[in-house]
Formats: sequence, C-alpha cells, structure tokens
Amino acid sequence: MRYICQVCGYVYDEEAEGVLFSDLPQSWTCPMCKAPLSMFAPVETEEKATIQEEPVSFDGDMQKLSAGALAALFSNLARGSEKQYMEKEAGLFRKIADYFTLVSANENPDSSELLSISNGNIEKGYPDAKAVAAKHGDRGALRACTWGEKVERIVKAVVEKYLSEGEDFLADTEVWVCSICGFVYVGNEPPAICPVCKVPDWKFERIV
Amino acid sequence: MKRIAVRNLRLCTKDCLCLYVCPNGATDTENSIIDTGKCIGCGVCADACPSGAISMVPVEYPPQQKKEDEVVAAMNRVVESKAREEKIARTIAENTDKPGLRKLMKAIERSARLSAEDVIREAGFMLPQSGNSMNLLSNLVENSPGKGFPSDAASKLLSSLKCNDGGFIGASTGKRKYRCLLCQAVFEVEEGEEPVCPMCGAKGKDLEIIG
Ligand code: SF4
Ligand code: SF4
Repeated sequence: MRYICQVCGYVYDEEAEGVLFSDLPQSWTCPMCKAPLSMFAPVETEEKATIQEEPVSFDGDMQKLSAGALAALFSNLARGSEKQYMEKEAGLFRKIADYFTLVSANENPDSSELLSISNGNIEKGYPDAKAVAAKHGDRGALRACTWGEKVERIVKAVVEKYLSEGEDFLADTEVWVCSICGFVYVGNEPPAICPVCKVPDWKFERIV
Repeated sequence: MKRIAVRNLRLCTKDCLCLYVCPNGATDTENSIIDTGKCIGCGVCADACPSGAISMVPVEYPPQQKKEDEVVAAMNRVVESKAREEKIARTIAENTDKPGLRKLMKAIERSARLSAEDVIREAGFMLPQSGNSMNLLSNLVENSPGKGFPSDAASKLLSSLKCNDGGFIGASTGKRKYRCLLCQAVFEVEEGEEPVCPMCGAKGKDLEIIG
C-alpha cells in the first residue's frame, strides 16, 4: 500500500520502507513537510477523490467584500505594485490595506473556531472553489486554490498539534512562513524548498 | 511592447559592463537605480550584465484574462473565510501571554493573509492598474467606507495609475473606446481619429466600438 501526504505530495510506500503505515508511531511526521500521520491518505482513495463533483452554483451577483477581505485585496495590489517597481503606489495601497485590517470585524479569539473554519475550507471551501475553477478552465484560480488547500491542511495540523502538546510543541524552535504561498513550517531552519509552491528557502519569513 | 531596464540591487556588483554599453547613459547613476527617463529599452545592458542583475520589464501590461462571475464568487467565498481565520489568529496572538501560541498565531495570521491575497488576485485583481482595481478605488473615494479611510491615498493612486484595459469608467472624455476582435485589447482613441489596435495593429472591421 502507498500513502500520500496531502500537503506536499510525498508518498510513503510500505513495501519500500518495510514498515506498515499503520505501525508508524503517532509522532511520525512527513519527512518532507512535517505534516502529521493524519494528513496522509491511501493512494487509491486519493485518486478517487480527484474525480470532479458537479460544482455548486453560486449566484453571479457579487456580494460585497468585507473589510477583512478588502484588506487582503489591497495588500495584494501593494505587492503587485512592488513587482512592477512602483514603490510609491505600493505604499499607498498598503495604507489602504492597513485601514481595512484595522476595521475588520471582530472575531472570537478561540482556537476551536479557527479549527472549524479551517476544516470547513478543507472539506468544502477549497474543493467547491476548485470545481468551479476547473469547470471554467481557469488555471490560475485552480492553482491558487490547490496551493491554498494544501496550506490549509498544514494550518489545521499545527493548530491540532499545539492543542494536544501545548507550549512544548514550540519550545526552542522557530516558526517559518513561506512568503509566496503561506506554508507554515516549525523547525530550526526553513525547508530547502517550499513543499507546496517550490520556492527556495530564502523566501521563508521567520516569525518573531 | 515597450520595456525599460530595472536593476536588482541585491545582485548588482556596481562595477561592470552595463555602464559601458548603455547608449543613453541611463545605467550610470549615483543612486544605482537605472534612470527610467533616459532608458530607451534597447536591452543591451541586460544582455551584457554578467550577474543577471538587469531585467527588462514591460511598461504597459496587456488586459488580463476575463474572470467568469461564478469564479469570482467562488474566490470571494474563500477570501472571506481566510479573512476570518486571519482575524481570529491575530486576536489570539494579541491576547495571549504564551510565547509559543503567540508565535504560532502570528504565523497563521500571516499565512491566511498570503492565501487570501493569492486567491483574490484570481478574482480579477491581478494588476493595480486594471479597470477592476481602479473602479474599486474610485468607488471608495466616492462612498467612503468610514471614518479614517485614507481617501487621499486612493485619490493619489487614481491619478498616478494608468488603466491598462480601458475598464476604468473615470470622468467622461472626448474619446471612443474600442475592443480588438483579434487580440481582445481594449483601447481608446480621440474622437475622429482612425482607430488602430495598439497591441497587434488591427484596423477596420477587426475592431468593435464599445463606448
Ligand atoms: S535598456 Fe538600453 S537604454 Fe535602457 S538602460 Fe539598458 S542599455 Fe541603457
Ligand atoms: S553589469 Fe550588472 S552587475 Fe555590473 S554594474 Fe551593471 S547591473 Fe551591476
């Protein structure tokens, strides 16, 4: 049997390893991206899961974006300006983004709420969005949601790990975020390449 | 497509060939930034640089692929959900005195923002100078979302950005808008002038009046 990491795509082959997947200790993590055991799925079911379901129809009417979403919209345009070497514009967009970040709606500071949103994105949010993107042949949107879904799985994994191990999980170690796709990595050094979007290690930000 | 040279200061060793080859003296500047006013876009410096430090970047960008409404709606849903995640993580980080949890939540806050940025880009907000982006800015200037909104920043952007796809419905001008049926470019010409597609040179019946 083969098992695939749903974050980075690493395949655990029982035959090659000589150890049954079910015999691995609970503390075992993906050698590529450190995702926990629970992020692995048997290879057959993974193949079955990629069969597109009929996408859910959204009404074409664009709902108004919330302040939090507008914050991301404008910080994205700030980054877009930077890429074009338009520093002044980048600064102005960032100012608008900061305003929307500040006024974004309050949320309960509750990690179980965070987990439930994360689960919802993994089970429904991203798969639905990917199906719509695939239906319209929108490669860019499909790519963004594919990365996002993988990142979401690692977010869920690290939150769950923290909830079970507490502060020990993060004592004497660094936390890194890939500045391109948002992949989160716990370790002393960032991975040599991002397991999700494949950028080199210097694109990782150390969280302080 | 018109291009200009941009030097990556992290890679440049500041001492070699581009200084000799530029026909217009655009590369030899006291602040090391290539003078965009002088650069004529010939690309000789980029070819000569041994460090791969110079890229030729486009001055104008083609209109982006049009996004289907259904895709936009689907992307927006994801973005809304990531925005909530970001806010929860930020609030936890601000309120906890546990150093590990604070660090983890700051990482998730950052991660959620990056994912949201990536997805909203695919909902039609790729380029700062697209009609979509500019219409949104002008909307916010006209209907301020609330106290403290930096309206001046939005106005400055509206005057410094030049719309790349003709989609910005700004103040009315004495211009007519066309779409090229061959390459899909949208462009404007002064009323009375003969329209020619700036991207591919198409004329006449290959153009459609759209405004
Ligand atoms: S592209 Fe040509 S004109 Fe512009 S800086 Fe390089 S050599 Fe000079
Ligand atoms: S040739 Fe390249 S490395 Fe040398 S000074 Fe010019 S930009 Fe810098």
